Amino acid sequence: MTTDNSISPPSNEKLTGLLAKLDDAVRLLLQAPAFSKPGKLPRVLDTARRVLLQEGGAAAIEQRAQALEAAGVFAGSDWETPQYLVPSLTPHALKSADPNVVVIESLSELRLLAVSKGEYIHDQISAEHAHHYLTQTMAINLWLLFSTPSEAERETQGRLAMIPRHLFQHLAERIGYEHVIDQLIEEIWRILKQRPIQVDSIKQMIMQIALCQANPEIDLGSSGQGADRLVSSLFGPTQACREDPGLDVYRERLDHMDQASLQAEATGFARAMHDTGLVSPYHPVLLRHLLEENDNLVAETLGLSSTGRDCLMCYRELVHALIRGGVYPATSQALYGLSLMLERGILYQPPVAPAMWRQLGLVLSEWSEARLTLTYGDTASPRARLLEGVVCMLGMPLGVGQGNNPTCQSARALSMWAYNDPDYLLQMVAWAARDDEIIMHFEGQPISSMASLSGVATELPMDLDPVSLLVVPHLDRIYAEMGRRCVGREGDPHRWVNPEFHGWWSGRGFRINVDVATGNLFEVDDFLRHFYASYHPYYNGNQPLIHPQPAGIAFTDSAARFIGWHAITILRITLDPRDVMRVYFYNPNNDSGQDWGDEVKVSTAGSGERFGEASLPIEQFASRLYIFHYDPLERGDLSKVPDTELESVKGYLFRSWGASRIPPTDLQATQAPVK
Amino acid sequence: MQKDPNKGYIALLGWSLNAIEAAENFDRRYIVVAPDWAEDYCQKHDIPYVPWNFERLNDRSIEIAETLKEKGVDVAIPLYEETVEWAGAINSVLLDNPRIYGQSLLLRDKALMKRRAQLGGIRVGIFEEAHDKEDVVRFLKRVNQTLLKLDGDPNDPIHLKAFDKAGCLGHRVIRTPDEVDTIPDEEFPVLMESHLDGWEFAVEAWIHKGKIVFLNISEYVTLGYSVFVPASPELEKYREQITQQIEKLIKAFDIEFGLIHPEYFVTSDGEMYFGEVAYRPPGFKVFELLEKVYGFNAYQATMLVFDPKSTSEEVAAFFPKEVVDADGFAGCFGVYPRRRVVSRLEIPEETEDHPYFESHELTAPMEETVTKRTAFGTHWGLIYFKGDDAHTLRDLLKHQEELDFYV
Repeated sequence: MTTDNSISPPSNEKLTGLLAKLDDAVRLLLQAPAFSKPGKLPRVLDTARRVLLQEGGAAAIEQRAQALEAAGVFAGSDWETPQYLVPSLTPHALKSADPNVVVIESLSELRLLAVSKGEYIHDQISAEHAHHYLTQTMAINLWLLFSTPSEAERETQGRLAMIPRHLFQHLAERIGYEHVIDQLIEEIWRILKQRPIQVDSIKQMIMQIALCQANPEIDLGSSGQGADRLVSSLFGPTQACREDPGLDVYRERLDHMDQASLQAEATGFARAMHDTGLVSPYHPVLLRHLLEENDNLVAETLGLSSTGRDCLMCYRELVHALIRGGVYPATSQALYGLSLMLERGILYQPPVAPAMWRQLGLVLSEWSEARLTLTYGDTASPRARLLEGVVCMLGMPLGVGQGNNPTCQSARALSMWAYNDPDYLLQMVAWAARDDEIIMHFEGQPISSMASLSGVATELPMDLDPVSLLVVPHLDRIYAEMGRRCVGREGDPHRWVNPEFHGWWSGRGFRINVDVATGNLFEVDDFLRHFYASYHPYYNGNQPLIHPQPAGIAFTDSAARFIGWHAITILRITLDPRDVMRVYFYNPNNDSGQDWGDEVKVSTAGSGERFGEASLPIEQFASRLYIFHYDPLERGDLSKVPDTELESVKGYLFRSWGASRIPPTDLQATQAPVK
Repeated sequence: MQKDPNKGYIALLGWSLNAIEAAENFDRRYIVVAPDWAEDYCQKHDIPYVPWNFERLNDRSIEIAETLKEKGVDVAIPLYEETVEWAGAINSVLLDNPRIYGQSLLLRDKALMKRRAQLGGIRVGIFEEAHDKEDVVRFLKRVNQTLLKLDGDPNDPIHLKAFDKAGCLGHRVIRTPDEVDTIPDEEFPVLMESHLDGWEFAVEAWIHKGKIVFLNISEYVTLGYSVFVPASPELEKYREQITQQIEKLIKAFDIEFGLIHPEYFVTSDGEMYFGEVAYRPPGFKVFELLEKVYGFNAYQATMLVFDPKSTSEEVAAFFPKEVVDADGFAGCFGVYPRRRVVSRLEIPEETEDHPYFESHELTAPMEETVTKRTAFGTHWGLIYFKGDDAHTLRDLLKHQEELDFYV
């Protein structure tokens, strides 16, 4: 007989003790009548938190998943209806500084794990659905599998940061890494097709995949094949850097290359860049090299078409200066931005080129420099960083994202100016970055961003592209101040604020289908008829939309439930490749591919979208629309809009956010007359 | 739970979710008497309820007694200090016994209570009422003269308590005449007591038909911070003496039924001094601690002894045997922030990792600046421990005082 058996490892003993306490707490919760459950919940969550911190804790919770849910752990929260949970919200919950949020999210994942494994038959969600959800969640949170807590996490979460890691180790072991990787690759491609300006997190995910593939301890099976293009586009897109030799080695290799090899390098990089929207740090090394040695290959390296090439020829000196000032390995995305900016031909607009020269020489305020350095580190100078941001925004106006901030209005304005009025954007950047002040006018009265105290956002945003980082806080305050100046006016303030804030081209005609006082729907038929008559080519005299127009949508979740009001830009309305009339629009949300419920799925690629555009068939789009602007003098014929078309829109509307907003009179009108 | 119409119908005076939950799971009919802000909640959760605002007793007070009588309620139970005289007034009507009201008034006024105890042959410390600051200074001087202190010797402290508030609310310790100035005028009148060096403890005694049916001794580790049950063997040694003291108290206050919660000191020579007594559930969640170790619900126990229809057999069967039936020791510690500025809640790892640690009810700080404590009073939340050894638990509770929970 050995003595070893009688001594169990200390952590196990601890886990056993904690599990007894957890079971106690769960029992108390289960027995409590509904009214006193909230009082019993904190103890369950806190004890579960301590269990999850232990080795093997996640497995123990998985076994108790059904008991936990039966006791009412999720009752009254979003987690109560697992069929509506959205994977993309999980990183936020898991990074929360609030232990209860982290714990309840973890409990929910473990519950879905039990469901997906068939251990727990759930009446609201199937095993397949649960599995699908978990793989997506893991893909999005891959960083949790392969990294130790960052400084920021440690600061906000402390020990808590270990819980998501333990959780995902357990999930990965139970589900298998191979599912995660393929899902993740698909996800990355989907986002890249929208060509966002900010790609740092995507680059990180690709790096995770590369590390995963290189790790002999992780068996990926046959998965991960689709990652090759992604990984190579970052770490070795061409012959001469295939094995990721490091920038210095690569630079040396360039010195000894002949014309044909350089040409091959240039086209190799350009293809990778235009395939993915990602720029390898090697790419700027080549470009800068060619600038000195062989500038006839610059157009090749930028991958320009004849339009872009023309523009480059006309503004050769400016482009060279932009490359010298802003395109470094640390700011490699500038190269892509520059290429797309040239393709747009906006340099031909008279004020743009001189404004770019101003940008090149712009002296940044101390505050601007500090903000840029704080956010992006000091691998590039603040001026180069901002220049990268400027060319990227001008090259990819629809790639502007609002980050995790409530500033959709400001993001939309920046995008609209980059798209429609680039020299105005450059003016804004100069004011913000150099003067720390922007002055806009509202009905003739100047509004200074310095004098306005507060904006919509309560803290300075950090997760933005360089231009947004500097300009959004100013715009946000001005926008909020314009709203304040409309206090007391009847109706929705967007009527006055939108045209003054975004630009003269925002139509002064204004329609809203929500009664501001009651929140009920209001003149829905009239609203929709005007929208169709102004925007739908069949009823507006086949007039394509001239300027981008601000519009407001009622944002709904995948169960078609109302979430909130959201600002977007309508860009164009036309037939898609399948001959469906679609609205193409810009959504300042970072990922436009969203499921708005009731089969309304916003498409971002494959239906004729250009980079960064989102699209929906017009009747689905109109069903979520609640505010639009139009030119009252250019309105189409209201009487030509057929009722059948509007009925279809109203169907979508009443099945989603409009369901609870039908005013009493409308109800009577829709009832069949009593005989 | 299925209600037994042959058993009593009980009114709970004051709002306590724990009490309502206990009543819901007990075989007696009940009704909650609480201010009207509770109405929506009660409707939503089907909790039997009658609205009443417990302000000072006045001409309309009879209304609530009559309302309850009409509904067939047998007895009212006070859940808070503020509802004790209401219960007295209501029960004197329901049970047709006017003396009950007088008794409740005695139990509501700390000065009257001490006099009554003195008359009953119970030892109390020196005490006096103070109407202003001068009274306090005079009392402080006289107490210390009595102790033969010379000028310059450190004073023995005196204690100030509000007449009619629960537990530690408004409790101050005064050592020097300077400190008297810190007392706001609106706190007067107050009760002043000499300081007794000794071991302070509390008792929860359930009384049925004039007899003690269950007696718990709660041991304070530090007054206002921590308590555990059952008491350590060193204190339990005094159980017989303590029982005699409680019997004296029952006699002095003529208590037939209910739950009393007195506080005592044992001095180094083994003498018991009476502090005060309350006719309601104790604060500091002692009820929860009792449930953790004995398994019975102390609110249900209270309803049982209040219910005039309870039989002696039912009561005897309900309660376990003191101390021997306890499964370990359970204690709790009230957390006060120690720093002046705090930003977040952080349970010390050594506390959380201790095998005795069970749970906590602390929440994130609402404000960054901590209000200076002027009196004993409101802690920011409790943490619970349970374990097999009284001394380990006691030392653990004591040690918590040196830790920061808010940083």
